[in-house]
Amino acid sequence: MTDNVQAFLGRYAGKRSPMFWLVIKTSLLTLLTVGIYRFWGKTRIRKYIWSSTSADGAAFEYTGTGTEKFLGFLMAVVVLAVYLGIVQMILFYFGLTIFSEPTTQAEMIAQIGAIYITLFAVMPLIFFAQYRARRYKLARTRWRGVRFGMEKGAGGYVWRAIVYYLLTAVTLGVLTPLATFNLEKYKADRSWYGDARIEQHGKWTALYRAMIHPILGVGIFLIGMAVLGATKLADLSIVLLIVGYIWAMVGVVSYRVQSFKYLTKNKLLAGKITFDTGIDTGTIVTTLILGSLVMGIILAALIFGAGVLVALSAEALIMMLGPVSLQIVLGLLYLMALLFSGALTMAWVTQPIIEHVVGSIAVYDHDDTLAAIHQREADQGADAEGFADALDVGGAF
Amino acid sequence: METPRNQAKARLFDGETAQEHRVILNALHRDQIYVQISGDTLDTPLEWPVKDLRALRDQSDGSRLVLSYRRDTDDEAPRDPARLIVTDPDWLAWLHVTHDDLFTRDLHKGTWRKVITRSAMAVAAVVLMLFVILPRMADTLADILPIERETAFGKSVTAQMERFLGGKTIGALHCSNEKGQAALERMMARLSQGADLQYDINITVFDHEMLNAFAAPGGQIVLMRGLLEQAGSADAVAAVLAHEIGHVESRDATRGALRSAGSAGLLSLVLGDFSGGTAVLLIAEHAFQASYTREAESAADVFAIEMLNKAQVSSDGMAQFFDLIGGEGGLELPEYFSTHPASDGRAVRARRNSDDQDVTRPVLSESDWQDLLTICD
Ligand SMILES: [Zn+2]
Repeated sequence: MTDNVQAFLGRYAGKRSPMFWLVIKTSLLTLLTVGIYRFWGKTRIRKYIWSSTSADGAAFEYTGTGTEKFLGFLMAVVVLAVYLGIVQMILFYFGLTIFSEPTTQAEMIAQIGAIYITLFAVMPLIFFAQYRARRYKLARTRWRGVRFGMEKGAGGYVWRAIVYYLLTAVTLGVLTPLATFNLEKYKADRSWYGDARIEQHGKWTALYRAMIHPILGVGIFLIGMAVLGATKLADLSIVLLIVGYIWAMVGVVSYRVQSFKYLTKNKLLAGKITFDTGIDTGTIVTTLILGSLVMGIILAALIFGAGVLVALSAEALIMMLGPVSLQIVLGLLYLMALLFSGALTMAWVTQPIIEHVVGSIAVYDHDDTLAAIHQREADQGADAEGFADALDVGGAF
Repeated sequence: METPRNQAKARLFDGETAQEHRVILNALHRDQIYVQISGDTLDTPLEWPVKDLRALRDQSDGSRLVLSYRRDTDDEAPRDPARLIVTDPDWLAWLHVTHDDLFTRDLHKGTWRKVITRSAMAVAAVVLMLFVILPRMADTLADILPIERETAFGKSVTAQMERFLGGKTIGALHCSNEKGQAALERMMARLSQGADLQYDINITVFDHEMLNAFAAPGGQIVLMRGLLEQAGSADAVAAVLAHEIGHVESRDATRGALRSAGSAGLLSLVLGDFSGGTAVLLIAEHAFQASYTREAESAADVFAIEMLNKAQVSSDGMAQFFDLIGGEGGLELPEYFSTHPASDGRAVRARRNSDDQDVTRPVLSESDWQDLLTICD
């Protein structure tokens, strides 16, 4: 199997500026069309990202269309309108029947909170939507002219996700690796490139190595709590609490990176094609921090500039157009800030992370297996991740 | 149309296997112009009509074109699944300059019909839910909700409102001057004389300058200090109180809460989360809220006038109050007064009623009224 190995290295060629303006343009159109353009906007952003991603000089292609996403969304709306409206109201009603008169502020907040917990009724739908969204994205991805694809199986995914996440919650996160591994395996084993199946190998217990940092972080935090409770060493406990908190936060990123690494290295395509990744937690964390910093600075400068302008012209505005005009101007500024922060996040945080992840991946083709992979049939994908769009679980792109 | 004289090297993925073909491009003149694609790994050369060539849109690399050609297939767009990657500058220039349809979007037949029918279905489903099914359900559920639960919920709502208005603890804004309380009780006693109320009305005055009042579920009525101060007369305050009692008796607040619980999920679903989505959502929800409490407002007015008549209180105070809020313009809080039908018509109705009333006497004595005004002291 070592006689004939060919390596394909991942490369990401997307640039900040075109991405930034693409997001600004599509968000503006989305705003002007009260949200309808978002299906086409997301599609255009995906086309840009996919086409920036290449292996061995052959770029990926995203073949989804805004129109089919819109159609899928409309279908999901019909189903969800009935389900959500009725379920939400009935749950709210039962929330009311367990109400008692609040005597303290805390009780009142708890009761209002209890009503929002009813939102968990949509959890099964969210898992359903997540599976369908992944299936749709794979079905609309091509490389070297060949389609990716995923088998049907959202129903099986829903109950597995509920069981594994409940187990995770009940064990206070100790069984996270079980959930991560088995849910990814469920999805990966149903994924295809052309007529070649992807398989997830490995063991879930191996992911415990990735759990080191989150556990250490939580441990330090708990020690900090204990110190605070047992002694009166406020300084020491505060240091421990802060260190523990930051460690745990970075630890969560580290867990996601390390588990991605393990899961990728243990995937197999067509029984012969292997994967490797040199993804690096440090790079990801640095990108997150630096990117957010740069983004924050640019945004703060813009808001400051706009604020000064408004402050200078506020009196004139109110004099000429009445007090409502100031509210409108402020509202518009708020919308602009939202729009800019979305585009800045995409260009300075999300895309650099994609760049690192894609650049870290290597695919090893043994014995020219790749060239022998055949096209698969098109997946019509009736809802085109409409449920994910309707429930807003799609993420940035 | 001038075609490039040179051959060009390109790469082809045939759409059937993942194999890459190194190919040579030639331009062919026959009945129309074709791009001929030939290579060692291809059995026979391919010929793609130039007028049907389509390039992928929104690509990040401007130095190449990924081409396919228009053909009726099961693909997302009516395109052949093969992909030709052209990087030769002469060919790129030729394709860009001479070929208008290169970036045209092609739709499958029947796409527009699908868009229209599905939009209509989605709109119908949402409208049916928002305006028929959810209101009916809310009415039914509000009717079967036990009164003590409704009261508990109402107290929670008023507590939340108090927090929103700046009260740090529950009861922080409550006005409790004894004489004022006694006057308020006398006013309530006068109004409820002979009225058969299903709720125990619990009136609270908040120490806040806003000109407003609201009815929370289960008999909780809140008057603001600003309303007492600006109303002008005890009769006007009584009219507002009677109006809010009308809301309480017909369970409007409970109905509204249930309705918005159902419709909030629905509206956020339709509008989705995009830049500024939340802002638009709030506006939409408010507009929606306003449109469906309008009939409830009229019913509460009718209830109030009847209550005033029974208690022999002149509805002239009501008319004056409507004059007042009619001229007040935008109120600070999206509460019930801002969702009222235009105040002018309501003032006229109250005034016409007061002309027909025979014996009336002030709802409070002058000294009681002065006591009520000091309830927050
Ligand atoms: Zn009202």
